[in-house]
Amino acid sequence: MPIPQSPEIVTGDRLAPPPGAVDLTAEAGRVLGLVGPAGSGLTRLGLSLLVPPSKHAPVAAVDVRGWLCPMAAWEVGIDPERLVVVRSPDRQVWPSLVAALLEGLPAVYAEVPAGVGDHDLRRLAALARARSSALVLRPVRGDLPAGVLHLKVEAAAVMWEGTDAGHGRLGRRRLALRASGRGARGIEREIEVTDDGADAVRVVPRLAPAPPGQAAG
Amino acid sequence: MWFPDWPLRRPDRPPDRPVQVVREGVVTAADPLAEAAGVRTGMRRREAEGLCPTVVSLDADPGAEAVAFEPVVAAVEAIVPRVEVAHPGLMFVPVGGAVRYYGGEEPLADAVAAALEETAGTGGRVGLADGPFAARLAAGAAGDGPVVVPDTAAFLAAHGVEALGAEDLAVTFRWLGITTLGDLARLPRAAVASRFGNEGLDAHRVASGEDRSLAPRRIPEDLEVADDFDPPLANLEQAAFAARALAARLIDALVPVGGLAHRVEVEATAADGPVRARTGRSSHPFGEADLAERVRWQLRAWVESGDVPGGITRIRIAPADLSDTGRQLLLGEDAATEDDARRALGRAQSLVGPDAVLQARPQGGRDPAERVLWHRWGEEPPAPRHDPDAPWPGRLPSPTPALVATDPPRLEVEWEGGFPTRVRLGSRWEQVLSWAGPWRRTGVWWEGEGPADRYQIVTSAGAVLCEVRDEGCVLVGVYD
Repeated sequence: MPIPQSPEIVTGDRLAPPPGAVDLTAEAGRVLGLVGPAGSGLTRLGLSLLVPPSKHAPVAAVDVRGWLCPMAAWEVGIDPERLVVVRSPDRQVWPSLVAALLEGLPAVYAEVPAGVGDHDLRRLAALARARSSALVLRPVRGDLPAGVLHLKVEAAAVMWEGTDAGHGRLGRRRLALRASGRGARGIEREIEVTDDGADAVRVVPRLAPAPPGQAAG
Repeated sequence: MWFPDWPLRRPDRPPDRPVQVVREGVVTAADPLAEAAGVRTGMRRREAEGLCPTVVSLDADPGAEAVAFEPVVAAVEAIVPRVEVAHPGLMFVPVGGAVRYYGGEEPLADAVAAALEETAGTGGRVGLADGPFAARLAAGAAGDGPVVVPDTAAFLAAHGVEALGAEDLAVTFRWLGITTLGDLARLPRAAVASRFGNEGLDAHRVASGEDRSLAPRRIPEDLEVADDFDPPLANLEQAAFAARALAARLIDALVPVGGLAHRVEVEATAADGPVRARTGRSSHPFGEADLAERVRWQLRAWVESGDVPGGITRIRIAPADLSDTGRQLLLGEDAATEDDARRALGRAQSLVGPDAVLQARPQGGRDPAERVLWHRWGEEPPAPRHDPDAPWPGRLPSPTPALVATDPPRLEVEWEGGFPTRVRLGSRWEQVLSWAGPWRRTGVWWEGEGPADRYQIVTSAGAVLCEVRDEGCVLVGVYD
């Protein structure tokens, strides 16, 4: 999928998304889903969502594959002392583990192992809402069930800059994403995220909805 | 009572080479050969290794040191009760009553010195003075025989301000012309407190021969934590886990009181009856991590010495003093948040085990896996093996792959004229859109590791970091 030139970056600090834009933040009590294969840039995006809550309390990343590198989290701005990585490949233990973390942490990024039941995910979503904790789910394979997520973000394309035929090095990348769910007001929208490779993962609005009056017309 | 070389008394010490013991990148003990080359306690490891390139650095093992120190503590306790261990190799004991029993300070000091020599050989130093700070300095000044200080204020006055152990404060004092503890003690206390705050006030107290602990407060009777274990704790892992939980509870219990302890009593009840108790002392108030570690050492010492036959059925921890020095919370942090987080992570540990709940610290290195130093959550992080501030030429530039393989799997890559053209990701072959590299990595050749060429390969499905080695191409990481 070709990615057009990015327009002005307006929500770099993710404090004030423009009216109508998709709010890609891990707000308290919300459940976000990041769906896409490894390499689509969603791990770094998911970790960047933990940055604001990590300013006040520890946050956790549940690592199912045993591959998560905390350097990526440090690069996006999480203090090493505020990040706890919990390794758990066992899908039987996984629901209890994530529930335990949600009981006391403001935000959890959790890879979802294959085979976790939909009812477990729904219970976790309810717990996150009840405890006002943000939960970012990243299935290692497949999709997430409908009705669990406040916002579902699917990877559509990734484009890297900085490399050539043997020259340069990986630098900035742009992710084309499809957002859907209540957080996208029930309409599937395309959003673009730029990742400068250092400390900024920014949301770039591409299809901000028109005001209701115009949309109707 | 102080054994300066206690950390060096270990079986893995090479006999004929200079040796230093290092904890968190700082030298905690150096043998005479290393000292002759200029190595000093408190020096950074790199600086010490620069002065003495042949020095052998051993990682400190306070648990093993505590186990070896336990018989020495027991021997002193047979002479004078209420021994307080500051760390393995250093203990304090109040001697008011024992001095009268032994008929004077010198006979008591001689009796203690004889007990030390009998249990631990030579090298023990005994100092007797008013207060732990002066006693520690007196022990430092002692040679073969004990040093009894008749006038503590006069004894302290001759010491430089660096004896306070607060380097920044000592630098400021020296800059102001205050070079000795005597100079400091002569200043009006109110003026020192006004200019240097609590830290200066502490320093003035110590320089005047008073105890460092300020504003001692009454300890509420119920301010203790204990757990009973049925079946008894039989191994150190279980004991360490229990120690951490109890330490967390005690620190929690201290929050509403608004104070912290410089001294704590640790008590363990053995299944077969005996109750062991020991007081631990620290010059700084105990935090959760250092209290947990202290309790863990003590339990290990009792378990490995066979002092708790049948296992441990009960552990109790209580503060032996309480000061106004409360814990400073970070901006935006509240105690409830931290308590909730600690409980949640403790529960996670019980579900997946302590080895699966991890934190990491950055350290030096060239590859992502090398630059991460993992440690269990709730435990003191180990000292970095590689200096994070060193330049590390050839280091992989940021961004770092978010997914890094601990055991890199094979990666199928098609090459044409030495250039990558297709990569197999999962079941699909992806066209290479661009790539960077090769960057030669020489590897740890002196340990048999061969060279490798690193490539960043970009496909429409994302970017990967791979290494081409003699045996083939492996996937090092995924830029996810």
